[in-house]
Amino acid sequence: MMGSQEILRWLDDFTQKSSRGLAQRSSRRHFMGRLGALLVGASALPLLPVARVFAADQTDTLKEMGDPKSCDYWRYCALGGTLCTCCGGSVTTCPPGAEPSPISWIGTCRNPADGKDYLISYNDCCGKAVCNRCYCHRSERDLPVYAPSKANDILWCFGTQSHAYHCTVAVVMGEASAA
Amino acid sequence: MRPKLAAHHGLVMLLLLATANSAYAEGERELYLLHCGGCHRPHGYGAEPEVPGLRDALGKMVQVEGGRDYLIRVPGAAQSPITDRELQRIVNWILLEFNADTLPPDFTPLSLQEVSMARTNVLADPLKFRQQLWRQVLATSQ
Repeated sequence: MMGSQEILRWLDDFTQKSSRGLAQRSSRRHFMGRLGALLVGASALPLLPVARVFAADQTDTLKEMGDPKSCDYWRYCALGGTLCTCCGGSVTTCPPGAEPSPISWIGTCRNPADGKDYLISYNDCCGKAVCNRCYCHRSERDLPVYAPSKANDILWCFGTQSHAYHCTVAVVMGEASAA
Repeated sequence: MRPKLAAHHGLVMLLLLATANSAYAEGERELYLLHCGGCHRPHGYGAEPEVPGLRDALGKMVQVEGGRDYLIRVPGAAQSPITDRELQRIVNWILLEFNADTLPPDFTPLSLQEVSMARTNVLADPLKFRQQLWRQVLATSQ
């Protein structure tokens, strides 16, 4: 059995020896070089394949302003329909009992909080009677129905159990800048 | 130290290259999302039966006669409000991104001239043409 004094002395010796050993065996410049490379490398990493940008909605990291229950909220710049935020859903989720349409209308809107354009996916929530609160019709870059893929007057309840339109959500898919 | 320095240098260049490459592909991905991804969905799975998928099958389609042109002539592509150059970038990206496993080894990307020519050749009956094309694809893959 070692007493507490002995343990402390052993710890002292051990720390001293290993520190001296480390100082004798390694060069400080080498360490600084490695550290520098690591820092530079780490700063380049977030620029590598940016699939995460196009993953799900980025609400957590995005700076936003305005009221998602109001038609003049920035994400609704090309939305035609009713706002799910007024119908028991959120800006990205359907109200209970409504099913999100897998296909959507994709456009871009400028975020006034950072002045950048973002790709916005307008997904219709389907399978319930239309929610008659917060009607909204804005049409930035919307085209007439002869260009159906760019017309937001068309109901987008395809690929769902029911084609009944309930309301629309606006999901941020990523920054629009490269194209 | 020389070889190590070279290795570090190589690594840095590789990082830069990877960054530049992904930035290039991001442009294509963005065009795809904006003009195709709403219906064909962000990863090209589509929503059958209304919207056909764009994964794997197209690598076989480009191997039969008329297949390459069809990808441009189909109304969703030909009538999109984009330039020929943008259409070329998107379709080649779809082929390489979603169909790499089925593309022939000697596949050459669609040229701008090929895209511009095909785009003027409107399909009178896209569905009928598509069915004929698929019969051809099935016949050659058996």
